[in-house]
Amino acid sequence: MNSANAIIESLCEKAAHPARTVMESCKETGKAAVGCFPIYTPEELVYAAGFLPVGMWGGNTEIKLADRYLQGFCCSIMRTNIEFGMRGVYGKLKAVLLPTLCDTLKCVCENWKVAVPKVPLIPVVYPQNRTLPSGEVYLREELERIRTELSRISGEEMTQSHIEAAFALYENYRRAMRAFCEAASTHPKTINAKTRHLMIKAGYFLDKADYTLQISALTEYLNQLPEEPCAMRVVATGLLSEPVGLLDILAEHDIAIVADDLAQESRQFRTPARETGDAISRMVWRTADMRGCPFLFEPEKTRGEMLIDLVRAHRADAVIAFQMKFCDPEEFDYPIYKAELEEAGIPLLYLEVEQQMDSFNQSRTRIESLSEMLI
Amino acid sequence: MYLGVDIGSSSSKVALLSGEKKLLSTKVVNLGTGTKGVQTALDELRAEVGIPAEQILYTVATGYGRLLYKGADKQLTEITCHAKGISYLMSHVRTIVDIGGQDSKVIRIDDSGKVVNFAMNEKCAAGTGRFLEVMARVLGCKIEELSELAAQSTQDVAISSVCTVFAESEVISQLSQGAHPNDVACGALRAVAKRVAGLCSRVGVVEQIAMSGGVALNSAMVDILAAELGYPVTPAPNAQAAGAVGAAVLARELYEKGMRQQA
Repeated sequence: MNSANAIIESLCEKAAHPARTVMESCKETGKAAVGCFPIYTPEELVYAAGFLPVGMWGGNTEIKLADRYLQGFCCSIMRTNIEFGMRGVYGKLKAVLLPTLCDTLKCVCENWKVAVPKVPLIPVVYPQNRTLPSGEVYLREELERIRTELSRISGEEMTQSHIEAAFALYENYRRAMRAFCEAASTHPKTINAKTRHLMIKAGYFLDKADYTLQISALTEYLNQLPEEPCAMRVVATGLLSEPVGLLDILAEHDIAIVADDLAQESRQFRTPARETGDAISRMVWRTADMRGCPFLFEPEKTRGEMLIDLVRAHRADAVIAFQMKFCDPEEFDYPIYKAELEEAGIPLLYLEVEQQMDSFNQSRTRIESLSEMLI
Repeated sequence: MYLGVDIGSSSSKVALLSGEKKLLSTKVVNLGTGTKGVQTALDELRAEVGIPAEQILYTVATGYGRLLYKGADKQLTEITCHAKGISYLMSHVRTIVDIGGQDSKVIRIDDSGKVVNFAMNEKCAAGTGRFLEVMARVLGCKIEELSELAAQSTQDVAISSVCTVFAESEVISQLSQGAHPNDVACGALRAVAKRVAGLCSRVGVVEQIAMSGGVALNSAMVDILAAELGYPVTPAPNAQAAGAVGAAVLARELYEKGMRQQA
């Protein structure tokens, strides 16, 4: 119990202070850090190059400098990343990897080179048609290019065995995260909505080897506890469930997030890799196998169906859509899955969020109204 | 007896319900959260009904200032309370449009007054009472006079900006180009109606439709909204106090539920 509490406390603290956590992680591992922009970056290659991959999911800060490149109607995560870059917060990063998965990311790719010239940028251009053989060939070449660039920055060749070891570690991490989310869904008192988010987020600032051990130990502890009840069970969808003030409101009303379809959370680790093939092939196929993400081209649009399955599998009462303001890909999907959830009779709460939010009155009213629907 | 207290951003409303579920009185004071509005409304209520505080068995507070009201046994949102209040006042209604000072809501309810679905405007004054306040200021009239001006409109003046700040500039520009204030007032109401109709489409309109909140007193607004929706819209009786009435009805339900659980 004490060791589990210590893990929870420690990971909460680390997630709440990313800059300090990254500094400590670099010191402990002797590695330099490389930034990984949302939504998907081949972190395994960063790890295989001997760097510490660090998630760059923005934060709550006053935007002063970034307005020069990104206006107020752009995604607040990207505005924050440019702001931090221009202020020198990311000055210690050896490089950043940036996938061009949306229009804003495409612009930021060019903006970064001018706004933050001291931190080299490696673009990651995913194929539109991930599942076609030609898309797979293309992505393999793209990953090989990134491998070469990272080797150049590290000054050491990234061998096949380095990549295999890193990929195995990341598969282990993804497996551990899926197990943690399942364990957390039945223990919403020990792991409330905010704690769940912070436990997952902490992993983006720590060495995955150390973090995976901690999260696995926590899961093992949770699995020994009896199931815990809560007032309401919800599935979260969207880009990310921040600012955490919103999660405080959920916790205050005993509303548990029992499963998620968040880009910052389960979308990162819900797709397991295929069992055979070399690491690069498995990375390519894992990208091809991803479903239900608005940032990846998918004509079948399976997200609504996936949400319905998550609700049913986890006995959830409703879905909360954390809609990042000005995030076009997420907004394009909303009317599609909204209609599907309505048809399935599943309540859906739309919560518009941005990282610079500091007043939660309207969100509180929406969340409380959702919980009062069950009175 | 059961008390409902609705502290909004621009007005405070109270309602008193008897044990037999009879609405005894409502009071509205046009001062919102952070003012003496709620105390004044309560004083007026007590002066009229003359009941000692100990006869109030349960109090529910709602509205923007619900968390700051110390005398409540429970706080519930204005969405839940408007739903219950309108169901009490107009049992046949299934869709409620509430345009408040700070935000607008469209609420779908079932036959027991329970919320089935709802939508609120985003963090922006477009489509809210605040938008109308700003328009009234530019036109140099009181907000309650907008309806009268709009009723005399003879020409369409479109206010295309959804942002209140931009719309203010647009209205000033329209007036400087010779647009008549009556037509501008009508254009302002239509701009709000369009925004609210968009919210309605998000939850799906089911007849019958009622309008609650202070803006329901604006008859031109009700007519324009009906035209935008393509359905008749009925202003609720006691529209401004509907949330407080719902809070009082819920106070009675919660008290009785508690008594049943104790027994």
